Amino acid sequence: MAKLVETFPCVPSTERGRGILISGDPKSDTILYCNGRSVLIRSLQRPQDVEVYGEHGYAATVARYSPNGEWIASADVSGTVRVWGTHNGFVLKNEFRVLAGRIDDLQWSSDCLRIVASGDGKGKSLVRAFAWDSGNTMGDFDGHSRRVLSCAFKPTRPFRIATCGEDFLVNFYDGPPFKFHSSHRQHSNFVNCIRYAPDGSKFITVSSDKKGMIYDGKTGDKIGELASEDGHKGSIYAVSWSPDSKRVLTVSADKSAKIWEISEDGTAGSVIKTLTFTESGGAEDMLVGCLWQNNHLITVSLGGTMSLFSADDMDKPPLLLSGHIKNVTSLAVLGGNQKTILSCSYDGLIVKWLQGVGYNCKLQMKDNTKIKRLAAIDSNILLTGFDNKVWRMPLTDNGFGAADHVDIGNQPLDISIAVDTPEYTTLVSFESGVVLLNGLSILSKIDLGFVVAASVISPDGKEAIVGGQDGKIHMYSVSEDNSLKEEAVLEKHRGAVTVIRYSPDLTMFASGDANREAVVWDRETKQVKLNNMLFHTARINSLAWSPNNKMVATGSVDTNVIVYEVDKPASSRITVRHAHLGGVNAVAFVDECTVASSGEDASVRMWHIEPQ
Amino acid sequence: MANAASGMAVHDDCKLKFLELKAKRTYRFIVYKIEEQQKQVIVEKVGEPGQSHDDFAASLPDNECRYAVFDFDFVTAESCQKSKIFFVAWSPDTARVRSKMIYASSKDRFKRELDGIQVELQATDPTEMDLEVFKSRAN
Repeated sequence: MAKLVETFPCVPSTERGRGILISGDPKSDTILYCNGRSVLIRSLQRPQDVEVYGEHGYAATVARYSPNGEWIASADVSGTVRVWGTHNGFVLKNEFRVLAGRIDDLQWSSDCLRIVASGDGKGKSLVRAFAWDSGNTMGDFDGHSRRVLSCAFKPTRPFRIATCGEDFLVNFYDGPPFKFHSSHRQHSNFVNCIRYAPDGSKFITVSSDKKGMIYDGKTGDKIGELASEDGHKGSIYAVSWSPDSKRVLTVSADKSAKIWEISEDGTAGSVIKTLTFTESGGAEDMLVGCLWQNNHLITVSLGGTMSLFSADDMDKPPLLLSGHIKNVTSLAVLGGNQKTILSCSYDGLIVKWLQGVGYNCKLQMKDNTKIKRLAAIDSNILLTGFDNKVWRMPLTDNGFGAADHVDIGNQPLDISIAVDTPEYTTLVSFESGVVLLNGLSILSKIDLGFVVAASVISPDGKEAIVGGQDGKIHMYSVSEDNSLKEEAVLEKHRGAVTVIRYSPDLTMFASGDANREAVVWDRETKQVKLNNMLFHTARINSLAWSPNNKMVATGSVDTNVIVYEVDKPASSRITVRHAHLGGVNAVAFVDECTVASSGEDASVRMWHIEPQ
Repeated sequence: MANAASGMAVHDDCKLKFLELKAKRTYRFIVYKIEEQQKQVIVEKVGEPGQSHDDFAASLPDNECRYAVFDFDFVTAESCQKSKIFFVAWSPDTARVRSKMIYASSKDRFKRELDGIQVELQATDPTEMDLEVFKSRAN
C-alpha cells in the first residue's frame, strides 16, 4: 500500500512581460494558482498542504473561488471554463467553451450566479458573461479590439462589469443584461489588471505605463490617480485591494511591491510602504502577481518565488516559498537525519528541499544553462548540461557554492558517481561512448562503438555497466589506465536501455528500458534474478533501490510509480497510480519505506510504501 | 473431426476435456497446443482443481503460443460465490511470428468448438493474464 506523505509543489507558471493572476478564499485561507495543466490549492496557514486539480486538457491560466467558497471556476488556454466543487473530490459541475482563444481572467458575481471571463478570441468573443450552471450568455460585450487582459465584477448591486486590455482601453458595462456604457483611454500602454474594491465604491486599473487610475464604482468615471511621486518605475502587473477597501497592493516589473492608501473619495492614492524583492538580482525578481487576503500579502516573482508578508507588520521579513516552474527531470537524496532532496529542472533551476519542512533554497544557473541530469554525493553536486559541460558545485548549509565546469566535447546523457573512490571518479556517457572524470579533470574518453543509452559505475570505480540503444547491456571492468575492458554482454531488453542502477550491497543491479520492462540481475552470475517486471504501460524513466536492497522502485511516462520486492514475484507489486500528471521523471528512495518521485507536473512527492 | 479455417483439425479429446471441466469441474485449467506436424489442436496439460492461478501461469511456456481454458472462482459484490470460464489466447511477444500467425488464425474456429466460454482474454506477456486482470474481467 502506498500513501502520499508530503508534496513539494510547483509554483505558478510565469511569463516575462505579463502579469499572472492568483486568487484565494478568505474563509479557508487558501490560495489558487495554475501551473501547466494543474490548478493548485495551497493553504496559507500550512504552506506544505497542497491539493492539485489536473482535469484540464490544456494549460490552465486562472482559477477563482466562488464567493461562497463552494465552487472553483478554472479556465485554460483553449477557452474552456470548468466549474468544480471544492470538497468531495473536485466533482465537476459543468464545463463550458466560453471563448475562442485563451482566457486571461475570470470573475464570479457576488451572488455566485454569474461568471464573466475575458481573454483572447477571434474578433467578437473577447469577453463573455454567462450563468454558472447553464452557460447562458448574459449581455453583449463590444468595445474591445485586442486581447482583454482583465475583468472585474462589481461586488455590490447594481451590478457592473469593468474590463481592460491590450488596446489601452478601460470599458464599463452596466446591466444585467450587460451592455456597453462607457470607455476610457487614460492609459498609454497595456492595462494589465482591473479590480473592484470589496465595498464596490471604486475600482482601480494598473498598466504597463507605470500608472494606476481610480474610477467610481457605479458610474465608471475616472475620479483619481495613484500618485506618481514614489510611484513604480516599471510596468505594474497586478493590483489587489485590502479587505477594508482602504488600501491596495501593487506589484511591478521594477521588482518592488507598493502599498497605497486610497483616500475616501478616491481622488488620490499615496504610497505608504514599498517592499523590494531582491533574490537573484536579475530579471527573475520582477514581481508579476499579488494578492491581499485577510492578513497576508502575497507577491509572486517571475522566478516563481512567493513571498508571504504579514499585513500588520510589514517590516517583518517574509516567508519565502519557491519551487519549480518547469518539469523536474532529476532527483538526488542526501543523507543525514533530516533528509535533503535536490531536484533540478531543465531550465537550470536546482531546488533544495528538506524532508518534513519543505522548500529550503534554490539556485538558478546563470546564462540560460540547460541542465539534463543531477548527481550528488556528500556535499557536492554534479550536473550535466545540454551545452556539453559537466558542472560541479559544493553544497553549503544554506545554499550553494561557486560552480566550475569542464567541457567534455559531446552532449552528456547520463552521469554516475563512484562514491567510494577518494576523488569521486565519475562516469558520464554520451552518444557514442563514455568519459571518465576525476573530480572535474578528464581521465579518459572512450568511444564504445555502439549507441549508448544509459550507464552506471560501481561505487569502487572498478566496474562500469553501459546500456545500448539496441537493448544490450555491456559490462566492463575499469583498468588502472582508465580504459574499459568488456567482460560480458547481456541480452534481455527489447527496447533501448534507459536506466541501470546497482543495489546498495552491490550484489545485484537493475535495468529499465524504453519498452516498459525492468529486470533485476545478479551481478556475479549475470543471471536474471527478477523477471516479468512489465507492469508499466510506457517507457521507464527512472529506477531506484531501497537502502536495504529489498525493493526496487520504477517510474515511468505512464504517470505510475511501481515498487517491486526482489524476493517476491513481480505480480505482487505496489503501484502508485497517477503520481505525476504527464509522467514520472525520477524516483529515489529517501529511507527504507519512503520513495520520492518527481515528474512533468514540476512537483516532488514523497510516498510511504507499506510492503504487504 | 472438425475442421479449422486454417486447415487445423481439432482432436476430440479437446472438446471432451472441456465438457468435463464445465459440467463436472474435474480440472482447474486445460492448456491446448497446436501440433504442427499432425496439423491439429491437442490437449497439452490439465490442472487439478486444487491448483491455483500461479500454477496456471507457470504451465504456459515463455516463448511459445498456446490456447488455454481457466475456471476462475471469485466472490461478487453481493458476496455470492461465482465462477466463470476464461479462454486465454497466450501469444507472448517473444514467440516466433509463424507460431503467432497460426494460433491467431485458428483461434476463432477453435473457440467455437468449446461451447460455454464466458470471457476471452488475449495475453502477450505475463502481466496481461495477471490475477488482477482476471478479477476485473470477471465483473
